[in-house]
Amino acid sequence: MLKKILVANRGEIACRVMETCQKMGISTVAIYSDADSLAKHVKMADEAYNVGPAPTAESYLRIDRILEVVKKSGADGVHPGYGFLSENAEFSRRLAEAGVAFIGPGEKAVAAMGDKITSKKLAADAGVNTVPGYDGIITDAEQAATIAAEIGYPVMVKATAGGGGKGMRVVFDAEGIAEGFRAASSEALSGFGDDRVFIEKFIVEPRHIEVQILADKQGNTLYLNERECSLQRRHQKVIEEAPSSFLTPEVRKAMGEQAVKLAQVVDYHSAGTVEFIVDAERNFYFLEMNTRLQVEHPVTEMTTGIDLVEQMIRIAASESLTMTQADVAINGWSIEARVYAEDPARGFLPSIGRLTDYREPTGEGIRVDSGTYEGGEVSIYYDPMIAKLIVWGKDREQARQRMMEALDSFDIRGVTTNLVFLNALVSHAAFASGDISTGFIGDEFPDGFVGDAGNQDQKEIFAAVAGYLRAEERLRAGNVHASDADSPWKILKRVGSGN
Amino acid sequence: MNTIVEELQRRRDQSLLGGGEARIETQHKKGKLTARERLLLLLDPDSFTEFDALKQHRCQDFGMAGQQFPGDGVITGYGDINGRLVFVFSQDFTVFGGSLSETHAEKICKIMDKAMEMGAPVIGLNDSGGARIQEGVASLGGYADIFLRNVEASGVIPQLSIIMGPCAGGAVYSPAITDFIGMVSDTSYMFVTGPDVVKTVTHEEVTAEELGGASTHSTRSGVCDITFENDIEAMRQTRRLFDFLPLNNLDSPPSYPCDDPITRHESSLNTLIPLSETQPYSMRELIEKVVDHRDFFEIQPDFAANILIGFGRMEGKTVGVVANNPAVLAGVLDIDSSRKAARFIRFCDCFNIPVITFVDVPGFMPGTQQERGGIIKHGAKLLYAYAEATVPKLTLITRKAYGGAYDVMSSKHLKADINLAWPTAEIAVMGAKGAVEILNRREIANADDPIAEAGKLEASYRQRFANPFIAAERGYIDDVISPATTREVLCKSLRMLANKSVKKPFKKHGNIPL
Repeated sequence: MLKKILVANRGEIACRVMETCQKMGISTVAIYSDADSLAKHVKMADEAYNVGPAPTAESYLRIDRILEVVKKSGADGVHPGYGFLSENAEFSRRLAEAGVAFIGPGEKAVAAMGDKITSKKLAADAGVNTVPGYDGIITDAEQAATIAAEIGYPVMVKATAGGGGKGMRVVFDAEGIAEGFRAASSEALSGFGDDRVFIEKFIVEPRHIEVQILADKQGNTLYLNERECSLQRRHQKVIEEAPSSFLTPEVRKAMGEQAVKLAQVVDYHSAGTVEFIVDAERNFYFLEMNTRLQVEHPVTEMTTGIDLVEQMIRIAASESLTMTQADVAINGWSIEARVYAEDPARGFLPSIGRLTDYREPTGEGIRVDSGTYEGGEVSIYYDPMIAKLIVWGKDREQARQRMMEALDSFDIRGVTTNLVFLNALVSHAAFASGDISTGFIGDEFPDGFVGDAGNQDQKEIFAAVAGYLRAEERLRAGNVHASDADSPWKILKRVGSGN
Repeated sequence: MNTIVEELQRRRDQSLLGGGEARIETQHKKGKLTARERLLLLLDPDSFTEFDALKQHRCQDFGMAGQQFPGDGVITGYGDINGRLVFVFSQDFTVFGGSLSETHAEKICKIMDKAMEMGAPVIGLNDSGGARIQEGVASLGGYADIFLRNVEASGVIPQLSIIMGPCAGGAVYSPAITDFIGMVSDTSYMFVTGPDVVKTVTHEEVTAEELGGASTHSTRSGVCDITFENDIEAMRQTRRLFDFLPLNNLDSPPSYPCDDPITRHESSLNTLIPLSETQPYSMRELIEKVVDHRDFFEIQPDFAANILIGFGRMEGKTVGVVANNPAVLAGVLDIDSSRKAARFIRFCDCFNIPVITFVDVPGFMPGTQQERGGIIKHGAKLLYAYAEATVPKLTLITRKAYGGAYDVMSSKHLKADINLAWPTAEIAVMGAKGAVEILNRREIANADDPIAEAGKLEASYRQRFANPFIAAERGYIDDVISPATTREVLCKSLRMLANKSVKKPFKKHGNIPL
């Protein structure tokens, strides 16, 4: 087993990984930038090392400095978290050279899945459903038009190196194809320095459903069921849940088995995620594979009872999985909401600053993964996610109710947060019924988010709270004590020793 | 007998109606409450007892004899605010425009005299067009009678003035002498000479609002201490302010029920001071996290915002807070901020309110504007006020305490009782950069790389002096405390200082550099 793990990340995920390390009796090493010297992950770690100035390119992405810290601290494993160096093949190779365990998949899997075209080919070869489309690189607008006509509109023009919604264009008819091609490739060039694009069928009203897989180095590969991440804003996940209210056991099994097949094709080990889009008829198509721990992994942990970070560590230490597919059950329901420092009323503008007040909700079925504390800072240099609020309930409705209550009792001041927006999503009738798609947020809030005035019940609650506070204040004010019964005023003045 | 009772009732009814329904409606249309409505909101229910409701003017000129309104344009009396006695007057704009006659003045003087006997505060609600011209010099005499009483009561009982309409000409000098002036936004103004006279004399075109509205006086002149949104807010906030104040100068500040434990440690304060020494932070956050229930009543929030002043409570007892505000002009001391804080400290000292000072000050503001404006004398007011004050004085240095400003900001040398510092405190004669430029001028000039040399010397200066240790070694600082425990340490210090008593040499009064 590993003795000392360096966590090459910051914020909530660094803290999340260290928590499991502590539980397993493994020492922890943090790295931090100048801006993070007082951060929670630094305080949590047994040892912490500065790796440079605040900008990530000068600190958290500096492979050379991180390797130095690995050497200095004597860490025998490195967990990359998500983002940063988690899917960087050079990083895992240089760790391997140094004889240090990379807690993640092997280089081959990372490289194969890192390229959209390669991964799609591999998937198709492995018998995984893929979105109808053209695998080759599109060289000009004319070719794009021909291929789009073959596939049938609507189509999506996508950058091969893309991600996060950049370098993507949906085209609805032949008229728009030239412009769509041009826009996607120029955005791809400026965004990723690579203007290669491909075309595939655009699925209308799709759901985003992904399968968590877990594979050891001995060749055992399991699927830990699905997460539904359809609630997205500009391709960024906002609310995730497990299981999906949309899947049937048959579809779940089929998706899981295809995900396992794909993982086996690339000799996958560690935790990974195979993303699918699912249409209204429950046809599912492979989207991409994420070769790392996902932000939304807690909903899987809450419903399967499996600590994914612990499994990743054990796998990295070459232990084999002790469970079988039959052991993986779905217990209850879990929902995660990403709490961001951003202003939903002002186009989700990031809001940076000091968390003057920060109290996490507590209670049955509530889990908060956060990387900050009261008095902490939301810095301009990093992702403005403050925390992940995760709830568990015996069924979806209980989880939803708990989520609404937990969002209401999350006390964050000093920066503006998206808590009200999250609550508006979770309390929405369509979400309650499970009728969602990736277009949900855009359709429901076409002009951005505006808080509503509240219903009669909510107004009454507010009135009652205001009344209570006022009554309490009056009670205190009404008990203000004048000076003692025999004020010096009276005594001194009457005997004439005053003026 | 019946006719007398009937006549009494007639006069009372008339008095209650002020200038009549039409004028009341005009008053309401301006967004203003009537003089009586204001008192209803200011005082506890059923606590108001009126004096001189039947008093009438004695003017015979200009056809005034036939125009009588019992009460003569001002409502006076006493009542309670949360059970504590207060004397009040409320000018009635619906009666002769609230103008001040000889009798109107007599009514105000009567309650002021009573207040001085009882040792109870006076709150004046001003809404008056000015002197009653018809009465000529008798009206002027009336003003001066009030001014004199304001001066005599100063430092004996708290006096509050709330400007809720016009207050022009000589009338401004009564509020000016009182302890705090509140103004209602958009409906009140104060000036010595109005826009018409200004135009004649200086040819300036200016509106009443620009010349003397609440916004002008709360941001530029500093005449206004508290700004209110409207009349209702004005009365509610005045009650809130009143609850911080003792009844008189022999009284202790009131004790407020408090269930906020003194051991409330605020770990977030440990990260309040930013990593970079030039980065500002919120001094208000510190104040709010230290006082009871986060209840901080700030005075003059928008004037000379480089210093913060206001009232809070510690374990239910009122304290005055003075704090440099690093978010504005780096918290530097200048003319306005010195005056603002000095007057506040003297108020606290008059009325037995302990003063807590939070220090983060880079020094005094340099420049011709400041020197020509007399920063020497204005800065000295602050120094004087701190040195003179005999109430408990607590000082906490959070970050910078440089040079003469260190001395001025309630230092040990000015007899502050307890002087504390956070580990981030830097008590030095000046910042590292400036110090090195003076101390090491030659070395830097002669160095091969002057910038690098200066940087090196600055670092070593910082290492040596940018900390609380040198001051603590000398006892100028009683202790260096963990920021999280600030509330507890200050509360314990105040408990210890509760019976502080000092003897001052006999004098009529000192000669503060006015």
